[in-house]
Amino acid sequence: MKNLFKPEMIKSLLSLLVLLLMVKLLWFVIQVLWLSAVDIDQEKDQESKALYYRVKLTPNQAAAPKVIKPKVVAKVQGSIKELTLLGIYNDDDVSVVTVMYKKNTKVLGIGDEVNGFVLDGAGQNFAMFSKNTKHYKILLAKNGKSVATSEREEPKREPKPYNKNKAPLGEVTETGGVRIIDRSLLEHYAENMDDIYKNVGISEVKNGKDLDGFKINFVRKDSPFAKLGIRRNDMIKSINGQEIKSYNAAFAIYKNIKNVENLSLIITRNKEEMELEYEIN
Amino acid sequence: MQMVKKSLFIAVILWFSILAFIPKAELYYSIEKKLQAQDVKLNEKSIEEGLFSLTLKDVTVHVKGIAIANIEEIKFFSVLFYSTLEIHNLQTDESLHTQVPALMKDANFVHTITSPLSISIDANGSFGLINGEIGIKDKKIHIDFIETKDMNMLKPMLTKNKKGWFYEKSF
Repeated sequence: MKNLFKPEMIKSLLSLLVLLLMVKLLWFVIQVLWLSAVDIDQEKDQESKALYYRVKLTPNQAAAPKVIKPKVVAKVQGSIKELTLLGIYNDDDVSVVTVMYKKNTKVLGIGDEVNGFVLDGAGQNFAMFSKNTKHYKILLAKNGKSVATSEREEPKREPKPYNKNKAPLGEVTETGGVRIIDRSLLEHYAENMDDIYKNVGISEVKNGKDLDGFKINFVRKDSPFAKLGIRRNDMIKSINGQEIKSYNAAFAIYKNIKNVENLSLIITRNKEEMELEYEIN
Repeated sequence: MQMVKKSLFIAVILWFSILAFIPKAELYYSIEKKLQAQDVKLNEKSIEEGLFSLTLKDVTVHVKGIAIANIEEIKFFSVLFYSTLEIHNLQTDESLHTQVPALMKDANFVHTITSPLSISIDANGSFGLINGEIGIKDKKIHIDFIETKDMNMLKPMLTKNKKGWFYEKSF
């Protein structure tokens, strides 16, 4: 205890405290002069809603969805090559195809069966059939002959679509001036972001520090994006009434794209504003 | 001898006081400012300052305004001759899972005085187990995949040799 109150000891302690104080002061000066005192946080986007909602007045969305009862497929050892796809009729809520089987013409709706093959759906120039766990695609007949182009085994009722990471199954069609996007196409691009950039080039357009929209740099020919009617140098200003003023807004739309019922783009083309509308089927 | 002892004592006190009195939160804000210039922002729920460490909890990483990942904890510790950066439970946004791994459970970056020109990396997650090195002098990153799991999305960036997959890049 005596040692503690020795003048030498007190002097040493004081020197130590002065040293600590000097260090603290030095850091304080550095802090004031060069370091930031404010935490930078990403502001949350306001949960703004679209100014309007599109309402489908056409009866293409039936009140009660058609329940396709799985039919018991008769065990027929037929070949898909025995079927010739003669015609396709695609409306908003119904797809009907005409096929030739053993010199007889048959009209099939979705779920109907011929030669053991069940009609799953139809595109602009093809029909999809399934048999047991396999899927078959038949192209529309040219010169009286149609071609079965693919034969894939479906995994046993997995929740994910069987064409994941492969070429999109659906396409963009135009019926009576209305462009219809196949929902499977949206689902494909929602899960494969890379495929978007292979088909369409998009870059930001800034007005000072603010984002003004997204510019289309290129659209690959024959891609679904070309069929949407968008062109090089178009500028996307809003999607479904939601202005694209931030990456977050664009990304939020992309994340929810699988669930939209309609799609509308406000674009500027040659300084003129125009609206592109699509229906999702 | 007494003089040497005294000098050593003062040097040690000075060393640790410099480290202990670093305005760590303000230093972190300054780093945030630098990251902001690259369109990267970190939103954290809490910042805890230790004597030689700084811990960020529940961090959301935004790139160009998009929340791309959530990190449960980031811990930085340094006594200058030994520094570590630990990242726990980094989860990427679901929509990015086709491009980047879904989860990085733990990642450790270590810099020691014994190897001053490199930073060692160890990490594990949904992609498997990795370890590697960041060369400070030769400005090179080399990462070896020791165990591989769900890493198909990374393969276009990787190279394979006899030992297995690895990633290498100069910066």
